[in-house]
Amino acid sequence: MLFNSLSFLVFLPIVVLLYYLIAPKYRWLLIFIASCYFYMAFVPEYILILFFLILVDYFAAILIERNQGHKRKLFLIASLTCNILLLFFFKYFNFANQNLEAFGSLFSLHIKPSHLNIILPIGLSFHTFQSMGYTIEVYRGKQRAEKHLGYFANYVLFFPQMVAGPIERFQTLGNALKAEHRPLLENFKSGLRLILFGLFIKMVIADNLAPHVNLIYDAPLQHSGAEVLMAIIFFSFQIYADFFGYSTIALGSAKLLGIDIMDNFKTPYLSKSISEFWSRWHISLSTWFRDYVYITLGGNKVSLPKWTFNILVVFAISGLWHGASWTFVVWGLLHGLLRVMESYFSKLFNFKAKDKWNIISVFLTLKTFALCALIWVFFRAESFAKAMDIFSALTHNPFFGLKWHELAFPLLLILIMIIWDMALYTKRFDHFMDEHKAPVRWLIYSGLLFLLLAMAGTQKFNFIYFQF
Amino acid sequence: MIKSIAIKFLLLLSIFCGLNIIYTHTFYQSDLVKYAKEDLDIKQSQENTDVYYFGESSNITYAPDDSTQASISSLCNLFYPQLKIVNINKYATHAGIYRHWLKQMDGRKKLPKAIVITMNLRSFDAAWIHSKLESSLQQSMVMSQAYPHLMNRFLLALQAFDNKTVEQREKDMQKQWKTEQLIFDIPFKYKTVREWDDGMANGGHLTPDGKWDMKKIELACHYIKAYAFNLNENNPRIIDFDDISLWCKKQGIHLYLNLLSENIAYADSLVGKELVFLMRQNRDYLKQRYQSENTTVIDNLELVNGHDFIDQNWTTEHYNERGRMRIAKNVAEALKIQFNKAYIKAY
Repeated sequence: MLFNSLSFLVFLPIVVLLYYLIAPKYRWLLIFIASCYFYMAFVPEYILILFFLILVDYFAAILIERNQGHKRKLFLIASLTCNILLLFFFKYFNFANQNLEAFGSLFSLHIKPSHLNIILPIGLSFHTFQSMGYTIEVYRGKQRAEKHLGYFANYVLFFPQMVAGPIERFQTLGNALKAEHRPLLENFKSGLRLILFGLFIKMVIADNLAPHVNLIYDAPLQHSGAEVLMAIIFFSFQIYADFFGYSTIALGSAKLLGIDIMDNFKTPYLSKSISEFWSRWHISLSTWFRDYVYITLGGNKVSLPKWTFNILVVFAISGLWHGASWTFVVWGLLHGLLRVMESYFSKLFNFKAKDKWNIISVFLTLKTFALCALIWVFFRAESFAKAMDIFSALTHNPFFGLKWHELAFPLLLILIMIIWDMALYTKRFDHFMDEHKAPVRWLIYSGLLFLLLAMAGTQKFNFIYFQF
Repeated sequence: MIKSIAIKFLLLLSIFCGLNIIYTHTFYQSDLVKYAKEDLDIKQSQENTDVYYFGESSNITYAPDDSTQASISSLCNLFYPQLKIVNINKYATHAGIYRHWLKQMDGRKKLPKAIVITMNLRSFDAAWIHSKLESSLQQSMVMSQAYPHLMNRFLLALQAFDNKTVEQREKDMQKQWKTEQLIFDIPFKYKTVREWDDGMANGGHLTPDGKWDMKKIELACHYIKAYAFNLNENNPRIIDFDDISLWCKKQGIHLYLNLLSENIAYADSLVGKELVFLMRQNRDYLKQRYQSENTTVIDNLELVNGHDFIDQNWTTEHYNERGRMRIAKNVAEALKIQFNKAYIKAY
């Protein structure tokens, strides 16, 4: 079930209503049933994969907690292996085989590995990472193993964030799911505001930019450099609006149930550096990698060459997490490389961007955006060849050939997005609204509502991050 | 809390009403042009229209060497120069869409005297019912639903219509071919389209040197899938035509169902008499079901010669000018029931 579908707009109020009508001790069951129903709207049989994952990690965590010494490690490794194998089978099996075949051909070996013709279970990378995070936390002794299978299942399945995050920690989401929530006007207000804003960002901004991006990316060489440049900029905003929109709706939906989930975005395109960008973009994934991979590798308490290596490894894995293709790995590696270079240069010149906005910080922000936008090409292009076509097309007639009458609307959308980002630089939409008086608030609601109802994109575009 | 919610709800409702008015006066018209042009055409057509001609690609497709590119409806208009015949056309349309178009006339002060609706035999088959074009056809109906305009626009964005994926439609089509039993009055070995198709695919046509004639086999299989079905009241097109017929009867409009020509001779030579039997049986079913005082079924099924079909390697109802002229003349002849005095012999 998509957030931007009529079925969800019917489903959510029913769940919220039932949630507050039934006795608190049975609410976990409602969330469980609702989440299963939500997930089964995609590929029903794939719910079994999730059940398997839940059972494995549920028992693994209990066994880790009950045992001492190397046994604990053994159960952790068993749990992580199960998760990774599951992910590998569905997401990376064909990719690995393609590489094996290509590798074999280098030595004139004709390897013909089998090809799995299966659809990737929606949001699998998110569930596995969330679940793995939990067992690692139990292993590290930072979290007690959950004994109630229903609550644990809900932690993995919780429908607002199950298919595209944020990747939550059990300490926050798990405990929030157990808490008794009363129907508070404040929560409804916040939730509805966030849902309205999220739908606006996704359906008006992202979905109206998508056709322009697709047109150019499908055949970049048939367009002028200026058009390709526009598509690169448009995609940067499309993916941001798409994922930010999803996360905001997730946040709002959870809030209606009285549950707080983490902010996944904090105006990332206003970052002055790549490292700041990663502290503002897909925060839940960045912190997951920081806590469970980067720190495990030694964090920043290692030599400079080792640290450089670690950063590149973390970013390469992060790229691979997004998709089974070398283009994603390159996307991650380029970010890693820039992150490392930034660190070297700032140490070399003893430079640190100030929090205060001035001409230098504006320049740094534009530089960071430009770099991110260019690297997004590898993320969006279906192959290296396509990515190279994009860069090659950029050099052809880079200043002319724009059809301004077609670009006016998407450019206006981007301007709206930038204005919103500036307004929300340090706060969330619902909190931002709290700061304004009722007439201003209702004026903003009316504007957003009108744009949403009258201008939402009419083509079907799934949330981009659903594929991961 | 309840009072506060109620006030907010009322405020929201008033805002929505206001926004709906703004939308109706700003973007609604351009959205109709973009997403439901035919609905707009019907709404904007003058109320003194005598006859509406609803059609699909058959009406407006012409051969490159045709001396005239006139559509069937315009050719028909030549026989009635005094009548105002308005043509509404959309590719791949079927009875469900025609029914929707008719509903756009609800509430008019003056209704047309007659409506000619294209009845394409293939539109009753599984391939057309589960066609991948169906989603865009369904989308074209959303903007004219009986909700506020702004709500319809949002429903369009929410994809709140029959918007199955191409894969799902393909699955449904395959299922129908596999499970729907074919009924013959003559002895025949195949019970379903799937069986028949498989039988044909396994060497149904041979070249003079004894090899499988793949081109012919492929086309024959396509003919089987296009025409091998028995019409009954459960067919969604029949349900829609029933509605159309009833609506016209209620409004006192004479309905002309223009059953298009199919390449019967080619179907016979490619597949055999069993397929022709089904085609004729279905034609008879349609005539029997709809021919009445208020409805005329114009039977063109075997009217156009095989060589007047533009597409010889596929099943379409696209005719060259000779084919179109023959059908137009037949329709014009049928319209004499009502407009005999206005008729002139155009050719």
